[in-house]
Amino acid sequence: MKPLILHGHERAITQIKYNREGDLLFSSSKDTIPNVWYSLNGERLGTFNGHQGAVWCIDIDWTTTRFLSGAGDNSLKLWDVETGTTIGTISTNSPVRACNFSYSANMAVFATDKSMGHQCEIHIIDVRNADESLGKSSPILRIPINGPRVSSLIWGALDETLLTGHEDGEIMQWDLQTGKKISNIKEHDKVIMDMQMSKDATMFITASKDHTAKLFDSDNLMLLKTYKTERPVNSAAVSPILEHVVLGGGQDAMDVTTTSARIGKFDSRFFHLAFEEEFGRVKGHFGPINSVAFHPDGKSYSSGGEDGYVRVHNFDQSYFEYGFDY
Amino acid sequence: MPAAEEVKSSWADEVELEGGALPPSTEVRENGFKILTEYKLGEDNKKVKIVRTYKIEKRIVSKSIALRKTWAKFGESADDKPGPNPATTIGGEDVYMQYVTSKEEDNKVEEDALDKLKMMGDKAVVKCRTCNGDHWTSKCPWKDTALASAKTADGEKKAPQMQPQTADSTTKSTTKYLPPNMRGDGASKRIDNAGMSGARRDDAIAIRVSNLSDSTTDADLEELVKPFGPVHKLYLAKEKQTGQCRGFGYVHFKFRNDAVKAIANLNGHGYDHLILNVDWSKPNTSSNH
Repeated sequence: MKPLILHGHERAITQIKYNREGDLLFSSSKDTIPNVWYSLNGERLGTFNGHQGAVWCIDIDWTTTRFLSGAGDNSLKLWDVETGTTIGTISTNSPVRACNFSYSANMAVFATDKSMGHQCEIHIIDVRNADESLGKSSPILRIPINGPRVSSLIWGALDETLLTGHEDGEIMQWDLQTGKKISNIKEHDKVIMDMQMSKDATMFITASKDHTAKLFDSDNLMLLKTYKTERPVNSAAVSPILEHVVLGGGQDAMDVTTTSARIGKFDSRFFHLAFEEEFGRVKGHFGPINSVAFHPDGKSYSSGGEDGYVRVHNFDQSYFEYGFDY
Repeated sequence: MPAAEEVKSSWADEVELEGGALPPSTEVRENGFKILTEYKLGEDNKKVKIVRTYKIEKRIVSKSIALRKTWAKFGESADDKPGPNPATTIGGEDVYMQYVTSKEEDNKVEEDALDKLKMMGDKAVVKCRTCNGDHWTSKCPWKDTALASAKTADGEKKAPQMQPQTADSTTKSTTKYLPPNMRGDGASKRIDNAGMSGARRDDAIAIRVSNLSDSTTDADLEELVKPFGPVHKLYLAKEKQTGQCRGFGYVHFKFRNDAVKAIANLNGHGYDHLILNVDWSKPNTSSNH
């Protein structure tokens, strides 16, 4: 396959996401400007200029009209996708680490970091009629987190629950009616870097610095599968059409010089969903991969790395014909 | 005066004038390709011509996607022309997914070899000259006894005898270079294993189909060879730009028998308006001998 290399960022990519139809690919990086691209030919549609700090998280609503970004400049911005203009800005007390639209895009959630004397907090906001007054309106629900900070979050099925991954590897499930914790589990030993839903939202996959990615039931948080690697996993995604899982990660940039180099450390790694066995690798990045995403049609995938590049791969025919020996 | 004007625009003057300015970039669209030609000054101030060829594709998509395709670019891309901007979008080099099913096998082979070496080391490296036991001569329990002195007494006679003997067995492998696959012992076994597990196993059952017509597609080739048995890999040589068949292809069968059958049946078989030429793939014949 011939990957498209998207070079619109000057610093490490933090997150990439496709919209629902998969024709647009959004990317954010530690430079301050999220980008949006046509996933088919890699043409850049535009940039969202306005943040003052590293953009940590992005999300797109299901109609691809609005775009959400949370940044290190203590703000969350809501954008119009078509024109790239800011609809509203919410100022927070500390950097916004994770953000997400609910499936219906009536609500959005974001989590702030524990820093500068402020504790980590989850905010749920109403974005149905969002305009400039967004910053002044009060959130629907605020959940203060006393323990380890939230490092990643997603909405549960039917927008009824919220799933948060924490810095110590714990996963919590929250009831949105009451704002109370329903359940929690601790299957990871280190920070959870990324959580992504499977296509039908019955399962979700977590990626952790403890060198594993794990698959959970999104309803009762039962651990289903574990994918082991030798390096920190920064992101994981489930294929929407095949029983495949892709993992991206690698040695931290700061550890690269102090550990022995081995070939294949910055590869995207493909695992079989059920057998937990690795069956393929794709090379390309020359730094750890920070975010991976499957195209919603399952025929291509993208990865964004610490090297600042986003690579869009269209799978070869051999990928679809590959039979797993069992 | 017309003559003067003509002189002024002589080609030599034009070359002089053009020295600093670069020719304008052009964009040509023809039969499904967009050819973008640009000129720029490269390093050491030489003019560089850059030709980029894009393939234009038409796709039928849902209304919402089509609408989004018409959106105007914004932000830092506001000034970009339609189509990918080469500054931000780069066509990458070909990469392949590396399938890692044989990983465990390879590791095993390596371990085996290492184990063998270890076993050998324990047994054969240390040998006592006096009693042939597996210890150093200086540590021999018979060192100060009659056995040792008897040996050393006629050692001059014996040692030269011993040496040719040991040398004899080693000369075969040391004096003259032998390629690994010609060597007698464990080495060849290891090579065999490695060769079998690697890509060569595929080559052994690859056939080359040539004299195919231009209009042949992957699907056609597959249809042609499928009746003979399961196909492992299929490659049809195609023209890079037009996607037309270049007249030959390679088929890797899962089983050798199927490949034999395919050659027997397909060689000389009429396909489209041409007569096929089917034989073992070339690298196979050279590696087998």
